[in-house]
Amino acid sequence: MEFAGSEPGVRAVAPLATALKILVAGGFGVGKTTMVGTISEIRPLHTEELLSDRGIGIDDTAGVEAKITTTVALDFGRITIRDGLWLYLFGTPGQDRFWFMWDELALGALGAVVLADTRRLQDSFPAVDYFEQRGLPFVVAVNCFDGARRHDPTKVRRALGLTGSAPIVLCDVRERDSVKEVLTTLVTYAISGEFS
Amino acid sequence: MTSDDPGPLVRLYGLTGGRARALGEAFDLVAIVTTVSVPFEPLGLVPEHLAVLTMCRRPTPVADIAAQLRVPLNITRVLLSDLRREGLVTIDQPSADQTIDERIYREVLHGIRRL
Repeated sequence: MEFAGSEPGVRAVAPLATALKILVAGGFGVGKTTMVGTISEIRPLHTEELLSDRGIGIDDTAGVEAKITTTVALDFGRITIRDGLWLYLFGTPGQDRFWFMWDELALGALGAVVLADTRRLQDSFPAVDYFEQRGLPFVVAVNCFDGARRHDPTKVRRALGLTGSAPIVLCDVRERDSVKEVLTTLVTYAISGEFS
Repeated sequence: MTSDDPGPLVRLYGLTGGRARALGEAFDLVAIVTTVSVPFEPLGLVPEHLAVLTMCRRPTPVADIAAQLRVPLNITRVLLSDLRREGLVTIDQPSADQTIDERIYREVLHGIRRL
């Protein structure tokens, strides 16, 4: 691979590579990983963060001999928009005590999808509250499982107590076109700037 | 991996000499890591360091590196900060503010529609 880019006409190696983040949040078992897998060009990748008993999210400047007590799994998928421009979809860890990881994921993120199951809408409250407070654009995607009643978006909006203009989309996370629609709705909303 | 299984952890922290935190400026999960093409002495580098140098000849986000190395994120970050300190990689932070680059967002929008 060529790294010299000083000569005219010699292409520098992707000097402006950019990766954007979209978070996929929602309650346990609502279909976050399925959604990521449906649209990702790669089988969702898995990584882990090790947590120490020194305290979660506290910067340990000594940085030694931290005893590990637990791990947080993080699954993500990728969409290559073009060479040097990628979109990453991160499924957020479900448990509340991992909020610190949400902070990192949300920093600089394009936006978020809050996946909701109408049978357990309350599971979506923490994510909705979180993104509203951060001023991060988000859409609520209601996953219509087989047999689940197709809910009226207006009722879902009321039930969730959505105060802002976040769009609500009915979707099936197993269907690629449906997930595409969720994502295009989110990006369009982010561009509109209506959330801020 | 469970907390009562110290085997992999011993190995992982062996990679970093017991360090749990990355050196220097913090960097994002999607910060872009790029190998700097300079001659270097592989002395003191573990195989994972060398794997990163090979992988990042093409600019690669941190999360991808962790997944490909099969090493937890914070350990990956320590390894990356080692390489940065040695001048063997650059780590480019994405913009951390929420101001949007509309041109890039529109490119993303069209890219998703094309899928």
